[in-house]
Amino acid sequence: MNYLHRISRPSWLGICILIFLFSIIVFNGMINDWGRASQGLGNLITFFNESLWPPDWSVLEPQVYPVCTVYPNFMDFTCSTAWIGMVETIKIAFVSTVFGTILSLPLSLLAARNLNPSWVSYSSRFLLAGFRSLPSLIWAIFFVILVGFGPLAGVLAMTVYTVGYLGKLQYEAIEGMAKIPLDASEAMGLTKFETALKVVIPESANDLISQAIFMFEYNFRHGTVIGIVGAGGIGYYINLYLKFLQYDKVIAYLIIIFVVVLIIDFISIKARSYFTEEIDLPRSTWKSVFLPSFLN
Amino acid sequence: MGKIPWKIEPIIRLNDVTIGYKVEEPLVEIPNLEIFPGEIVAIAGPSGVGKSTLLKTIAGLIRPISGSIEVCGKFFPDRPNRGELGYVPQGLGLVRHASVLHNVMLGVDAGHNTPMPFIGGFLPSSFAKKKTSKKKAIQAINSMGLEEKISEPIRRLSGGQQRRVATARTLAQCPKLIMADEFLSELDEKTIDMVLGEVTKYVRSSNAALLVVEHDITRAKMMADRLLVIDDGRINPFIKEPTAMEVKI
Repeated sequence: MNYLHRISRPSWLGICILIFLFSIIVFNGMINDWGRASQGLGNLITFFNESLWPPDWSVLEPQVYPVCTVYPNFMDFTCSTAWIGMVETIKIAFVSTVFGTILSLPLSLLAARNLNPSWVSYSSRFLLAGFRSLPSLIWAIFFVILVGFGPLAGVLAMTVYTVGYLGKLQYEAIEGMAKIPLDASEAMGLTKFETALKVVIPESANDLISQAIFMFEYNFRHGTVIGIVGAGGIGYYINLYLKFLQYDKVIAYLIIIFVVVLIIDFISIKARSYFTEEIDLPRSTWKSVFLPSFLN
Repeated sequence: MGKIPWKIEPIIRLNDVTIGYKVEEPLVEIPNLEIFPGEIVAIAGPSGVGKSTLLKTIAGLIRPISGSIEVCGKFFPDRPNRGELGYVPQGLGLVRHASVLHNVMLGVDAGHNTPMPFIGGFLPSSFAKKKTSKKKAIQAINSMGLEEKISEPIRRLSGGQQRRVATARTLAQCPKLIMADEFLSELDEKTIDMVLGEVTKYVRSSNAALLVVEHDITRAKMMADRLLVIDDGRINPFIKEPTAMEVKI
C-alpha cells in the first residue's frame, strides 16, 4: 500500500533537510584533508594555463605516415588522427547499435511479462541484466583480452552492452502496450510468434525506433571512452597523448568530441521527434531543435 | 422409436458456469446456455453487470470461477481451433500504428489452418497464397465501405470507422463463431444497417453463430433471434413484458 500521500508537506521538507544533512556528514567522513580541496582551483588555473591552453590543433593535420593522398588538398584533414579516430568511433557506435538492436529484440520479446509465462520472462531478464551489469568499458577490457586491440573489441563490447541496455528499454515499451490487441490475437488463435511479429512490433515500433536512435547517441558517447583501453576509436589517441603528457592535444580532441556529440544529439532529437510524438502533430523543426523555445 | 439421423451440436455450451474476477465476488451465474450454428444471440443488461466479462470468459481470456465451457467442440481450458473464434472486443484490439489492410490481414491469417512459416513467407511458393489472402482482406474491407481507407493507419480513423475495421477483420477470418462486444456503437443508422446486414449475411450463409453484447435493448431485440438479459447476477431469456430493468433503461 502507498502511504506517501499521508505525509504532510512540512514533514516532506524536514525529511529532505535530514537527507541532505546526512549526506554532508557522510561526505565529511570520507574527506581527510579539506586543505587539498581548497588548493584545487589554484591547481586548475596553473594546469589550464601551462598545459591545456591553447589547444594544439595539429591533431587535425594529416599524419606524417602513411602519406596522405587525398585530393583536393583542403580535404587532407581526413588523414588526421582526429578525423580517423572520430570516424572509427562513429562506425563502432553505428555497427554495435544495429547488431545490438537485432539481438536485443528477440530477448526483449521473451522478457515481456505480457507475452510469456514468468519463467521465460525472468530467464530472459536475468540474461539482459547480466549484459547490463558491466559497463561498456569493462566489456571493452574483456574483449581486448579476447580478440586483441582494435575496433573489433569495441564493436563486441558495445554490442553486448547495447543488448542489455536496449533490451530493458524495449521490454518496458512492449509491456506498456495495450492489452486488448493481445487479447484479440489470442482469441483469434494467432501463435505467439505471429502476435509478436504482426501485433507487438508494429504497435510498439515508434518506441523501439526511438530507443534505437537514442542508443546510437549513447554508444557514440561511450565509444569515445572505450578507446582508452585499446578498443578502437578516438579514445585510443586521447590515451596515447595522455601518456605523453601532451594535454594541449588532449583538450583539442575533447573539444572535437564535444562538438560532434552536440551535433549527434541534435540529429538524434530531430530523428526521434518523428517517432516519439503523435504523428499528426506538427514536426519539430531544425530551428526548434537548435534554439531554446523562447527564441523560436 | 425413430432413430435421429443427425443432431446439431451447439457451438457454445455452458453448464453451471459462474463468472467473475474473484471467487468471492461472482458476477453472473449461468445454469445452462447453448448457442447453435446460424443463430444470432444478443446479451443485454445495464453496464457493469458482467456482459463483457461473460464474452471474455467464453473467448477463453478469463478463467471461469466454476462450471464447464465448451466452445466449437473444445472444453476450457482447451481453445477452439485456430481461426474458429472471431472476437471483436469493446476496445477493438486493433494495431493502431498499422494500416487498415494490415489489421484485416491478421484476420485472414488467423483463418488459415496453419500459420505461414516465417522463412517460408519469403519463398516464391507463398506469394500466390499471400495474393489470395490480400484479395480476401480487400473484399472484407470493401464490404465495410472502407475501400478509400485501405492504407490509412488506424489512429487516423474515426471511432466508427475503427469499429468497421474490427468487424472486417473478423469477417475476413471466416470464423464459426463471432463474439462482438458493442460492435455497433459510434455508428450512424445507415452504417449500422450496412454492417449488421453484412454480418447477418455471413452468419446465415456460413452457418456460423453470432453472440453480441449490446447495451441498447431495442437494437438488441431488432438484431437477435434470441435475446438474453443479465440482471441481478443471473442470465435469463428476455420476456416481452417490461421488466423492472427495462423500465429503468
